[in-house]
Amino acid sequence: MGLLAPLFLLGVLAIALPVWLHRLQTQSSERKPFSSAMLLEKAEQQIHVRKKLKYLLLLAARIILLILIALAFAKPFMTVSPDAIVATDAGTRLVLIDTSASMDRAGAFSQVQEEAGRAIDGAPDGALIQVLSADRTLQVVGELSGDKSVSRAALGAMSASALRLDFGEAMSAVERLAASMPPPVNLHFVSDFQASGMPVRFADAVPAGIAGFTAHVVGTGEPFNWSVEFVRDTGEGLDVGLNGSGDRERIADVDLLVNDVVVESRGLSQTGPQVLHFDAPDLKEGENRVVLRINTDDDLAADNSWYQVIDNEPPATIPLLTLDTGGLPVTYLSAALESAGAYSVLPMVVGEFDPRVLGRYPWVVIDEIGFIDPELERSLTGFLENGGNLLAFAGDRAAALEVLPVSGHRQSATAVRPQAGEFLSVGQIDIRHPVLSQTEGWQSVNVSRNLPLDVQDGDEILIRLENNEAFLIERRVGQGRILLMPGSLDNRWNDLPVRPVFVSFIIEAARYLSGINEIPSNYTAGASLPLTLAGGASGQVVDPDGVTVLSLADTTREQQIKLNKPGFYEVYTPQGEMIVAANVDPLESDLRKVSQDVLDRWQDATGGQTLTGTETFFADEEQTVELWHWVLLLLALIVIAESILGNMYLTPRRTERA
Amino acid sequence: MPPLQTSHSNARDLLRPEVLAGLKNLDLVARSVVEGVMIGLHRSPRFGFSQEFAEYRSYNEGDDPRFIDWNVFARTEKTYIKRFLGDTNSHLMILLDASASMGFGGPPVNKLRYAQFLSASLAFLAARQHDAVGCIVFDEEVRDYRAPSTRSGKLQGVLHCIDSATASTGTRFDKPFDKFREQTTRRGLVAVISDFYCDIEDLLAGVRPLAWNGQDVVLFQVLDKQELDPDFKSNVLLEDIETGEAVEVAPQFMREAYPQRIRSHIDQLRKAAAGIGADHVLVNTSDSLDQALRNYLLFRERRQ
Repeated sequence: MGLLAPLFLLGVLAIALPVWLHRLQTQSSERKPFSSAMLLEKAEQQIHVRKKLKYLLLLAARIILLILIALAFAKPFMTVSPDAIVATDAGTRLVLIDTSASMDRAGAFSQVQEEAGRAIDGAPDGALIQVLSADRTLQVVGELSGDKSVSRAALGAMSASALRLDFGEAMSAVERLAASMPPPVNLHFVSDFQASGMPVRFADAVPAGIAGFTAHVVGTGEPFNWSVEFVRDTGEGLDVGLNGSGDRERIADVDLLVNDVVVESRGLSQTGPQVLHFDAPDLKEGENRVVLRINTDDDLAADNSWYQVIDNEPPATIPLLTLDTGGLPVTYLSAALESAGAYSVLPMVVGEFDPRVLGRYPWVVIDEIGFIDPELERSLTGFLENGGNLLAFAGDRAAALEVLPVSGHRQSATAVRPQAGEFLSVGQIDIRHPVLSQTEGWQSVNVSRNLPLDVQDGDEILIRLENNEAFLIERRVGQGRILLMPGSLDNRWNDLPVRPVFVSFIIEAARYLSGINEIPSNYTAGASLPLTLAGGASGQVVDPDGVTVLSLADTTREQQIKLNKPGFYEVYTPQGEMIVAANVDPLESDLRKVSQDVLDRWQDATGGQTLTGTETFFADEEQTVELWHWVLLLLALIVIAESILGNMYLTPRRTERA
Repeated sequence: MPPLQTSHSNARDLLRPEVLAGLKNLDLVARSVVEGVMIGLHRSPRFGFSQEFAEYRSYNEGDDPRFIDWNVFARTEKTYIKRFLGDTNSHLMILLDASASMGFGGPPVNKLRYAQFLSASLAFLAARQHDAVGCIVFDEEVRDYRAPSTRSGKLQGVLHCIDSATASTGTRFDKPFDKFREQTTRRGLVAVISDFYCDIEDLLAGVRPLAWNGQDVVLFQVLDKQELDPDFKSNVLLEDIETGEAVEVAPQFMREAYPQRIRSHIDQLRKAAAGIGADHVLVNTSDSLDQALRNYLLFRERRQ
């Protein structure tokens, strides 16, 4: 027995209230001195005892009531061991059915039903049968039973998914499951046995603990299938990778749809891998739904469409405040930021900069914080306090100041300076920080000079040099933040601007300061979309069929959304909306089977280890049974009991009033 | 006659317990009570015995020279003592129960205080009648004792003895009666003032020998209005002052059954007293004191 939310047990402290109230009640003024109890019969005392008992019962009922409320909120549960199953000599037959995307081919699943039914019917008398399905995960379908009709009934609800099956992973899961089954365990695998499903190491497909392995192959014959393998945005157009297998005489058309409108169609004259180039379509600003659709009557329809989200946001303008718009810092920052394609640097001379336009930008860069005059400092401080962000570097001008403007950092007098001709390296990096988590190569940065700053309360040191000086500081100012690097950007104090890490650092810093926590827009079916990355723990996701994925309660929690269907998912979070696309794994499109040799070898290799003996096994792992329903039921009973007791306690007084 | 009625009415007012409660001096209380009673008595010739001439007798040594009739001496040159009916030698012994249960009652006065008024008034009245007055204050033990005496200073001692009684512990009647029997052999009046929450047989065991010895016993049963007619609106846990025993009672019981029981107890006490020739007077602390004093005087008259 355990509790899912034990902190709610603190609510038990509330029983102090009825105890206190009842204590007051017992010490009430109703206790009166009287000259003599001689004429008060003992029968009256019995009434008192009975009343006292009722009174204590009432108190007990109230205490139990509060305890049960606290317990109900604490969500008690107990783990229940399933019924023990005594193994027979016939052992267990596992009927494993491949439900991966490739099994969606025409007629394949009716064969699956047949083959699986045959595997069930062929089980020896007394054998326990367990039906399993496998795609990205292994799932137990129905219950372990010696009744074949029960197992057959489990087949009815099965269908192919859009996910990929890796035989190695499936066999590993079967191996773990078989260990809990009454031996000997025989595996009957019903699948199309795609060659692409085999693991890299053959041994990974051979499960231990399996006494026998029987392959039931479905989907025989030469497969004919077209599939889209990739769509790549080259900037000048779209390159689309296609692959066709099977009958070379059969042709297909390819349509390019942008936001549900067919913008271009192409004909395919022959099968085989090929790349089609489409001219850059007219995209609307923002996210665009691009679909490559193959119009054909091939065996597998699930992979005939490819869904892609193409972002057409214009580059964000980032003001770069500098004294020299043609200087090296401008060159380095512009090159780094514009390499991402999402940003456009606007160099502006500090003295000519109109602070009133600050509100137009999410963040600004200044290559020398020492240039900031008091008027600009006030504007920048207001900008930061209202949620703006600042990326700042400190150079010679800053070194001449005792206190840095805007950030308020003081220079430290106790800095350890490198000897002339020597360099300091980066000593410590906070790789958990979003700015640094995707960057590599800081160890190659050489620092010849750094502005030593006294760390202040609220400072977060993201990078420290080996002499422990801060090399990158984050400080919150109001609702905004400053990223301050106490080194110049002109390649004189350090060589960061010419190191590869500079580009990734600047791009990640730009994303961080822009408030963008980007995630990829395109996924393979079965992948997980962490909703937190999409902008927050709360949100909602609408799947390609227009169905909301999360329950109302789940929308407030951190979620990993499984993208199990191909198509576009709409993701809504408090931070905004986005579209992500999911596609069938191209490996599922390759319908070629493993060779008969491999299949034979697989069957031979599996079954070498046979478990014997009659033991007691459990049909499943321990189950967790939540008990709060029963607690609520008990609570209701106690409420009724409390009402009755309270009523009984009050009866004499009511009589008195009457 | 309106003036007389007014005077009588004012005198009766003085006997109300709440008025007497305002008087701190027990002597003053006793004096007020007795004067009030006597004013009432004057209207009834039946009670004038104490003023009626009884006899002359020769003066003997030891007699109070104040009672010599100097008119007779002037005519006969012999000293005679003039005696009235009320001056027949008697004595009054007051047994005052000062147990804890007597502390119950009020406001304005609890049972003990009322009993103190009554005792003081009796003592004063007796002294006025030239009776010797003594006093025993008791609870489980004999707490204080004043032997009966007619000497004028003795009354103050008796009043002090009565006034200093405080309610405490339980009640035992055997000890004060034993004490009384040990100290007194003369016949006289014995006023037992208590609430008599006791076994009647135990009480009779103490009173019966006195009655058989010729003592005239009057039992003043002092009860509070809450004991005679309790008025509780809800369930109460009643705690016996003496024993600490707690009994929770319903208002219905206190309204119906309990008054029957207390009346039954009083009746039993009255019958038992009558059985041994004693008198029983029920005194309600909410009533004025004159009734109790009238009972005393009636009793004394019968004895004469």
